[in-house]
Amino acid sequence: MTIAFLFIALFSLLLIGVPIAVSLGLSSVLTIMFFSHDSLASIALKFFETMEHYTLLAIPFFILSSAFLSTGGVARRLIRFATALVGHMHGGLAMSSVLACMFFAAVSGSSPATVVAIGSIVIAGMVKAGYSKEFAAGVICNSGTLGILIPPSIVMVVYAAATDTSVGRLFMAGVIPGLIAGLMLMIGIYIAARYLKIARLPRAPFSEIWASFRDAIWGLLLIVVIMGGIYGGIFTPTEAAAVAAVYAFLVALFVYRDMGPLKNRTADPDAPFIGRFAKGCIESVLYLPVGMVHEDTRKVLLEAGKMTIMLLFIIGNAMLFAHVLTTERIPHAITETIISAGFEPWMFLIIVNIILLIAGNFMEPSAILLIMAPILFPIAVKLGIDPIHLGIIMVVNMEIGLITPPVGLNLFVTSGITGMSILQVVRAAFPWLMILLVFLVLVTYVPILSTFLPDLVFGKAIS
Amino acid sequence: MGGGSRLGRFVNAIEEGVIAFLFAAMTLVTFSQVVARYVFNSGAVWAVELTTNLFAWMVLFGISYGVKVNAHLGVDAFVRLFDSRKQRIFALVAVAAGLVYAGILFAGSWEYVSKLYKIGIEAEDLKIPRWILKMALPIGLGLLFFRFAQAGWMIVTGRKTGLLIGDEAQDAIRQHLKNMKDESESGGTGAPPR
Repeated sequence: MTIAFLFIALFSLLLIGVPIAVSLGLSSVLTIMFFSHDSLASIALKFFETMEHYTLLAIPFFILSSAFLSTGGVARRLIRFATALVGHMHGGLAMSSVLACMFFAAVSGSSPATVVAIGSIVIAGMVKAGYSKEFAAGVICNSGTLGILIPPSIVMVVYAAATDTSVGRLFMAGVIPGLIAGLMLMIGIYIAARYLKIARLPRAPFSEIWASFRDAIWGLLLIVVIMGGIYGGIFTPTEAAAVAAVYAFLVALFVYRDMGPLKNRTADPDAPFIGRFAKGCIESVLYLPVGMVHEDTRKVLLEAGKMTIMLLFIIGNAMLFAHVLTTERIPHAITETIISAGFEPWMFLIIVNIILLIAGNFMEPSAILLIMAPILFPIAVKLGIDPIHLGIIMVVNMEIGLITPPVGLNLFVTSGITGMSILQVVRAAFPWLMILLVFLVLVTYVPILSTFLPDLVFGKAIS
Repeated sequence: MGGGSRLGRFVNAIEEGVIAFLFAAMTLVTFSQVVARYVFNSGAVWAVELTTNLFAWMVLFGISYGVKVNAHLGVDAFVRLFDSRKQRIFALVAVAAGLVYAGILFAGSWEYVSKLYKIGIEAEDLKIPRWILKMALPIGLGLLFFRFAQAGWMIVTGRKTGLLIGDEAQDAIRQHLKNMKDESESGGTGAPPR
């Protein structure tokens, strides 16, 4: 009864266009008021506690560093490097967009941010080179989802917070699946491009590969900062995210100088390296205070702030919702049912995928994870499924949820940067979505893809 | 939105300034902790508590700003099936839901903060009474209530169509398509207005 009320309230509110966060929150609050004895004060406290969760604190910092990277010209340099590497193959420009999305995913934790950063530059370039707009938008919309699979990843942080698993392990687990997904998309592009007979680019000379690599190195180094920092035990994931944000700020304003007080003041390329380096350092120190309050910096802070607020509002309310579910002992009841029904692990995983794919259509990934993880996690543990593996399955499902209507953030942003309608983007993304579905099956039934690296780096999990 | 009157611009600048400032502050506090630990071999015990509270203030303060600038995500596929008059009714129901939500949570947080005020304990590590830190709740939710009420009024007077992300963008696209259709029917060749 209580649960029926909770879910009916949630879905009716969602349906009439109430923001997701408010739908989650209001349905939980009403359920608590009608059916339980919790005081309103304890609900308010519960809501505040979300923001005091140390692991979740990584989210705003990852969002901020992505924001600096996408406005600060890092994306453009990663694209140049990717194009130099694979641009000459069949469908090379589209492939290099996928590769650039993978690079960007490795420094940013969000899918929509990846789509915006890479898509707003490459889609126009691809159309100019003879690809249809649908082709370009579809490729970007899909490969942008790698943002949450290739570490760092905001969605993995949420899963870790919901299930008390290690963020570091999850990040490591996403590496191999992320590479495979990127490769599968590239193979799909290769076949499509041969079939559509799209013109190829000339092969980039080695000097261009080297030059573009050197240009992109400041962005790529962030991978080392984040992953090295976490695995070297130098910082916690939350600190790594904050360091990444500060690093991205410094690179955007003082190294690449695509924004801020030193915009368009590049060093004389003929000057000796030592001289340029020293001059750059002095300028950076001199302009640091100005840079921190510069209008561009403020804009990036505000944009990242808006995104964080939107996301945390959803997460906070999803926490309330999950709280109601737990006090009603729903996860417990479902676990009993599944176990006593004698489900095999593989059957359970089919159910997991179907439920998550459906949920992904209507909800925001973090909210789904917070609601579903407490339910699925105990069952998976009982059935002997590695929690890390379950996490990766959930993340891949969420990727697909990002490109399926009606609620798919990647669809919104792709529509935003291309000017295509949501429906057109859905159609454009569809063929590539099939590749991701095949990939989902692969990840679901080949657990070693997810568990190999974390087990190698951290040793086997004790469970 | 917000940019109309002088007061509107002023309030806008304050809201945006506060969000940007709190965000910058929490980043710098966390970053400086890492530096302090490795360079100076020390760290402040209160840093984590300060960061989480800055974070809470930013989010709770910013939710109402999010309503003002339509930054919240939701499902509009079903509502879009209806004509604009019915859509407006749905939007008003959604606003009512928002008001109920903000109202209940405001009451709850008021109760909570006044309890803390009576007890009068300090925060764990920061030397500040706990009720002051938690004031973010009633302030944020009060502002949220106000912004929902304002959005409701703007929907009634036709200055806003809904609460969600993309409500504005999609309207523009639909208007554009409608214009193109009108033109093809009337045989007009004028460029579609943006």
